[in-house]
Amino acid sequence: MRELTEIIPWQTANLMKRLMADYYKQGAEAKEKGIPVAWVTAVFPVEIIYAAGMFPFYPENFGAVAAARKMAHTLSSVAEAKGYAHDLCAYARCGLGDAHSKEHPLGEIVRPDLLLCCNTQCGSLSKWFEVAGRFYQAPYFLLDAPQVGMEPEALCKQYFTAQLQELIAFLEGYTGNKFDYDRLREVIGYANEACRLWNEILEAAALKPAPFGFFDACYHMAPIVTMRGTPQAVEYYRTLQHELEDRIAKNIFAIKDERYKLYFDHIPLWPKLRWFSELCASHNALVVVSQYTHSWAYQFDLDQPLESLAENYTEEFVNRVFDYRAQRMLKLMRQYDVSGFILFSNRSCKPNAFGLYDTKNFLSNKTGLPGVVFEADMSDLRFFSEAQVLAKLEPFFEQIESNQRRGGYASI
Amino acid sequence: MDVRESINIFERAATASAEEADQWKKENNGKVMGFMLTDVPEELLHAAGFLPFAVNSVAGRLECADAHLQAWACSYSRNCLAAAAQGKLSFLDGLVIPHTCDTMRMLMGVWEQIQPLPFMKNYRLPRQVARPSAGIYLHGELQRLKGALENFRGQQIKDDALRESIALYNSNRSLLRHLYRLHESTLSPLSSKDLFTIIKAAMVMPREKVNLLLKQLLACLEEGNTENCRRGDIRLLISGTLLEPLQLLDFISEKGGIVVADDLQNGSRYLVADVAESGDPLEALAERQLTRIPTALYEPQKQNRMEYLANLAREQRADGVLFVHLKFCEPENYDYYDNVKAMEKAGIPAMAVESSFGGVHTGQLQTRVHAFMEMLGGEGTD
Ligand code: SF4
Ligand code: SF4
Repeated sequence: MRELTEIIPWQTANLMKRLMADYYKQGAEAKEKGIPVAWVTAVFPVEIIYAAGMFPFYPENFGAVAAARKMAHTLSSVAEAKGYAHDLCAYARCGLGDAHSKEHPLGEIVRPDLLLCCNTQCGSLSKWFEVAGRFYQAPYFLLDAPQVGMEPEALCKQYFTAQLQELIAFLEGYTGNKFDYDRLREVIGYANEACRLWNEILEAAALKPAPFGFFDACYHMAPIVTMRGTPQAVEYYRTLQHELEDRIAKNIFAIKDERYKLYFDHIPLWPKLRWFSELCASHNALVVVSQYTHSWAYQFDLDQPLESLAENYTEEFVNRVFDYRAQRMLKLMRQYDVSGFILFSNRSCKPNAFGLYDTKNFLSNKTGLPGVVFEADMSDLRFFSEAQVLAKLEPFFEQIESNQRRGGYASI
Repeated sequence: MDVRESINIFERAATASAEEADQWKKENNGKVMGFMLTDVPEELLHAAGFLPFAVNSVAGRLECADAHLQAWACSYSRNCLAAAAQGKLSFLDGLVIPHTCDTMRMLMGVWEQIQPLPFMKNYRLPRQVARPSAGIYLHGELQRLKGALENFRGQQIKDDALRESIALYNSNRSLLRHLYRLHESTLSPLSSKDLFTIIKAAMVMPREKVNLLLKQLLACLEEGNTENCRRGDIRLLISGTLLEPLQLLDFISEKGGIVVADDLQNGSRYLVADVAESGDPLEALAERQLTRIPTALYEPQKQNRMEYLANLAREQRADGVLFVHLKFCEPENYDYYDNVKAMEKAGIPAMAVESSFGGVHTGQLQTRVHAFMEMLGGEGTD
């Protein structure tokens, strides 16, 4: 298997390290400065939190870091000893494990002053935040997003907009300050720009061969998730885009001899990210697209900030019905001209794993492309068996390679 | 009719629910609307002219769901999907799935791939229940469901008809509550399993018939032939999302226990909240939903579940609390630690057991339940 070290490291990686270190420092300093720390979920209208002058902290990111450092099991076992079953989302188990730990192998999670959850993604987060709210004795607020059907619905949008108003009133009550809509528009402007850049960057993966793939995107994703709405995120993606252009000019590609592209859903296996990308690379395959990294495609309307926040945050694919999701996958697969698809049945993530078997059938029927579903957990290596995953993936790669011999990149 | 005969009718209805619904369809030229537990406004389905039918009463072979739903989905969803895959639910004309958790949110899409029914709708409940936006939204969602049912049925649901259905269901609930009270407060020939079997049957039988049968049964019980009555000495509160298998209740009785309270979807959550019979019926349905007893499935701002359970245990003079955790039920598991802490604080002994549809590993379950009962001082008969 080819070593990733052959690959030229991203210069932006240093900037990322600085940014993330700053971010965690801000979290630690917020307390001293009297800035409220608000826990938020990945798909949450964080623009409002920045506009309200609070520090948003993403405990999911804490979970992902724990997973990437292969510490999910350690933290999780503390939660399990308290009676939280190992079938709960591993992010939550890590967060609850840290809460109940005396030692904090990753550094203690930033404690919340208030917890703000949006359940667009899942109901696991809302339960975790609710429990954490009791644990840290901090107020909890739920932004509730009913599942949206094939077409956006006024009912859901109005409900969510009304809740944004309730949220703002709640925050005003908490801080004692009037909410600043001009500041909101400014934040939204930054978010728009960061999202625009992010999506342009993702599109580079469609080039043949590509300078950038899904695993790179997973690495560069943190600012769009955690700092959307700040000038720092915009700056980060501008720099990344320049580096990307430079790489394209110099013919530096994501993998050597890219021969085909793959679709992947959904979250990566954090502790096995490198293993997985090397496995694909050893078959000359580059994972180029996933709904996961394409989640941050927001475009807000500065003239109707709340309504457009409501649209963007409720109409996300994670909150859509089976058919919508399947159609969207199909669209992304076509757009990136992939030769096959890998669907990850992630034990942690019921809302994204349930339905995948039938999704696979749907995609196979529509595209005729090889596809595979494999079982594991995004964080917890107790549910990962290399042999079992390989037993699924090797025949898949063989099939792709035999299709490939017949005719290059797929056209579906 | 005596008590046993009456219980037997319910028992048959609960075990042969599919056959009975099928027969009802033929005899009445009617349509059956399935629903997943428990917060679906059945009154609306009934007023639209359907026989509301709780899908959980049909047993599926769990492995028949394997090709569609992971083994780590709760056995409730897997059971129902398996039954659909086995063709055991083909008598349904439609299905309404309430959005109570991630599993329910995803289930409809999968079900449609396996056995699409003429009518399939998600009922998207608000998961926060305390703020004004919840009521306004829920009213809109009820209107959406009502409109869809009207379209499918080809006729309008008149307010008066809906009010009549509400009254029917209110009396159904009130009779069941009466039965529950008799069961827990007097020397009664009903076992806890009988009680929960009757509730299970009441979710699938024509409710008019249920009310008649319940009235007869209550009359027999109140006449009070208490011969052959075994009285449980140990009073238990059962908490969880869904109690399955009902055999678990035998394990409690075997050690002299009796269920005196619960917050289950196939128990008290089904029975306690009535709907106002005057005013706008949809508003009344929304109001009921937002003031129901707390569960793991909704944000607890309005009513804290831990306090609720501790109070309930005290009011009902429960000797212990048994948490029944349907394996892989994520929302319920999140509450468990705090629930147990709350019981400790209140000085009420508590224990959790894991259970599942499909009846496997009941031996282990029996051992655990017996151990708990013995801890509470149960003598048992074996
Ligand atoms: S991984 Fe899935 S279940 Fe866990 S927090 Fe994310 S969306 Fe929710
Ligand atoms: S609430 Fe629990 S038991 Fe009910 S469907 Fe959801 S996961 Fe299954």
